[in-house]
Formats: sequence, C-alpha cells, structure tokens
Amino acid sequence: MGILLLLALWQALTSVVARSSLPTPLSVAIRIRQDFIHADQLSFYGLNTGLLDSMAYTATNVAAAVLMGAVVGAPLGLVTARFRLLRALVDPVLMTAGTIPIIVLAPFFLIWFGVDRISAMLLVAIFVTVILYVFAQRAADNIDPVYEESAYTLGASRARVVRDVLLPGTVPQILGGIRIALAGAWGLEAIAELMGAQYGIGKIVQLLAGATDVEGIFAALLVLGVVAVACDGLAAWVVARLAVWNQPARTGAE
Amino acid sequence: MSDVKIEASALSRSYRRADGAEVKALSAVDLRIEAGQFVCLVGPSGCGKTTLLQIIAGLVPPSGGNIVVNGQRVTAPGPSRGMVFQKDSVFPWMRVHANVEYGLSCRGVAKAERQKVAAQYLERVGLSHVAGAWPRELSGGMLKRVAVATVFANGADVLLLDEPFGALDYVTKRQLHDVLLTLWAEGEAGRRRTVVFVTHDVDEAMILADRIVVLRAGRVVDDLAVAADRPRTTDALLLPGMVRIKHILLTHLGLEAAR
Repeated sequence: MGILLLLALWQALTSVVARSSLPTPLSVAIRIRQDFIHADQLSFYGLNTGLLDSMAYTATNVAAAVLMGAVVGAPLGLVTARFRLLRALVDPVLMTAGTIPIIVLAPFFLIWFGVDRISAMLLVAIFVTVILYVFAQRAADNIDPVYEESAYTLGASRARVVRDVLLPGTVPQILGGIRIALAGAWGLEAIAELMGAQYGIGKIVQLLAGATDVEGIFAALLVLGVVAVACDGLAAWVVARLAVWNQPARTGAE
Repeated sequence: MSDVKIEASALSRSYRRADGAEVKALSAVDLRIEAGQFVCLVGPSGCGKTTLLQIIAGLVPPSGGNIVVNGQRVTAPGPSRGMVFQKDSVFPWMRVHANVEYGLSCRGVAKAERQKVAAQYLERVGLSHVAGAWPRELSGGMLKRVAVATVFANGADVLLLDEPFGALDYVTKRQLHDVLLTLWAEGEAGRRRTVVFVTHDVDEAMILADRIVVLRAGRVVDDLAVAADRPRTTDALLLPGMVRIKHILLTHLGLEAAR
C-alpha cells in the first residue's frame, strides 16, 4: 500500500520536475532491467559489471561487516557490563570511535588498507561494533538482578549464569541492535564505496554522478533500497523466531 | 527437633548510602532456628528483615558476625538454601517446566529424572496444565506457584521466602499459603524443611508461622512462639492466645499503644 502511494507520488512529481533531474518510475524500471547483468554505461568507465554483481559485492561487505561487528561488539558489551575495570578501559575507546564521522575516517582507511573491499568493510564494522556494544551493555545493565540471584541460589555456576541468564535475557535487545546496525550499514557501505572503491553500488553512483546520469543513479539506489528493506524483513523474522518467549502476552488469566 | 539449622551470631550489616551516610541495616543479630521450623520475620519496612534473609541466602555478605547453616559458614549462594523472591524470578525465556527443572539441571540430575520431579511438583502446585507454557502467558499468582515449585523441586532443606506473596490479591495469597503449608508439611516431623519467611503482614505470619521473630531498626526485638494447631482456621485465629500475639505484633509495628 505504502509502496503504491510512493510510486503514485513519484509519478505525479515527474510531471512537474524536469526529466533530467527526476526520471519516471517506468524509465528507472527499464533501466534496472537493462543494467541488471551488464551495464554499457559502466563499461565506458572500465567497470565490466551490472547491478546484480555490484549489489552482491555491496551486500557481501555489509553482511561481513555486520558479522564482524556483532562478534566483537555484543560479547564485549556483555562482559564490560559485569566488569567495571574493563568497562572503564573499553568505554572511552569505543565511544570515541563511534563519534568520528565516516567521512573523516574513510581517507585513513583507504591509505592504510587500500581500495579493496577490506577498507569499506572495516569502516562499516567499526560502526556496527559500537552500536552492538552499546545495545548489549545496556541490555545487560537492564536485566533484573533477581534472575541472576535466583540462578545462583538454585545452584548455577558462573558459566551457567552467563549461558542461561545473561545471554537469553539480552538476546532480544541485541537482535534489535543488529537490525538497527543493519539498516545503517547499507548507507555507510555505500558512502564508503563512494569515497573509494573498485566495485559496488556506491561505486556505480559515484561513476554515474560524474556523468549526471540520474536515471542510472536512481536504478542503482532503488536496487539497494529494495535489498535493504528485504534484509530488514528477514532480520525481523529471525528476531521473532529467536526470542519467541518475548512476544506480548496473549493470556494472563488464572 | 532440637538440632540447629540456621545460626546467626552477632550478625551486622551496614552500607554507605549515596549521600555518604553510614546506614546500619542489621546490628548484632543473634538467632537460632531449629530444623523443620517455620519462622516468620516480621517488622516495619526498612527494619532489616530482607537483609537478614539475603545474608542467610549468601547473596549479601555480613559486615560482621557469623552465619552458619547446616554447620557450615555461608559465604556464597547455593542450592542448599532455596529462595523465593519478592519480584518475579521465573526466567521468561524458559518454558514453565524448564524453569522448575533448572536447579536440578544445574546439579547434573539426568533429564528423565528431573522431568519426573518437575512434573510432580507442578502437579502439587496445581500447574500441570501449563507445564509447556511460556511464563508471559501466566498470571502473577501462577508465576509465584512456579517459583515455589522450582525451589521445592530443587530439594533445598532450607527455604527462604522474601515477601513472596506481597503483591498478590487476597484470594490468591490464601491459596498460596495452603500450597506452601502443604508442601512444607509433607515431610515427616524432623525431616521437614526449615522455612524463613519474611513478611510485613501480621495475619500472614500468624497463619503460617511456628515462631515469629520481630525486627526493628536492625535488631531482634521480640521472639514469639505460635502454638496454635494447624490448619489454622478463621476461628483458630480468634482464640485468646492468637489475639494476644496479634496485639503484641501490632504494638511492635506502632499500630497499637503498649498495654
């Protein structure tokens, strides 16, 4: 429904705005089909790919970055929530890293790691790490101490308390954090590619912007948007599956 | 019935408030509780009764003095002292039967055996029909039943209950008193579990306790035996001996002038 409304609005706008600044939905759709496997306009710049391959490149980077960030950020957030000294050490480092704009960070990464995918991946991974660190830490802070106390009085070891209380009790918030990180990661990955990359949706946008090929840019961004929305839907589904117990109560009668 | 189960000697606990002031939650508490006794700790809020319970559980270390349970000094929480908390402590991420089995699984009891024990205690508290449910699907009273079943299933011979039924409505509370007393009484005399039950509700203490210990400002100020027969009916609570105890308790709580 919302998509139809958006399309209608877009179509309506094309009648007032010049074609060169706003292409019609139909022309963009046709352009996506044309460029999907191999884009002629791009081979002109020496880029022998299409939207599909570029999207795959970008998606792989985002997935790898979210994975890296989750593996580092979430456990670090949980651990620091329980050990004050470690928290005092890690907090300032990650909080500082989190406030540096990606535009400032990107040139350094390009110098250090080159224009390969590793640069963009690490840039996005840092952002994801910070988000998940904060989410996991907050989740561990907020979990009611009564659960841990109860587990200890029932005979649980420290390791079991982490496995049976701390992890499951924080999973919904951490998964929520992964969804937010994922949503932001698409944009950041595209920016990182704009700043310097050899492939990817961001690279296409950068090249076509040089040629003011608005239609081509729209086509690339639309593909990115559709994939991002689809991934968010998938993530939401996984979140709901992994934390079944956390659904709103259906009944509560005795 | 003469063996001492819980022995507190010169127990004290103080902590520093955020404004820097030193607060004494408990000072020089001496208390001996015999095996199989049902003891209620009663007192106005802030009198230290919850602190005393947490020290017995091993959740809070004493600032001074000693706490000995089963002849051993308490240094950490453990499965020999089961605890039912004021707040809901049932894990929302485990189904009801998994919650009841949790303590047993921590102690390495085989799956078939712990499923049997859990099913048995869920039946005792009248919750067999929701064994496979998620805790969010239960009412507050049902969650308390799960918590009670969990500590009983775990086999602790000392049970510590911290105002467990404080937030429940009157009917549910009375039903849970019956559940608790039935489970407590099922062991033959001498093998009964020892119960320490914190409450601020005078009537609740009189229905449940063999002995009521009154705390005020971190000290034991009275220690009353409740000899009435069980089950304690409405009429039993109106016997002269019981009414006298009620007057004493209300006086300690500052609700009646001393006579």
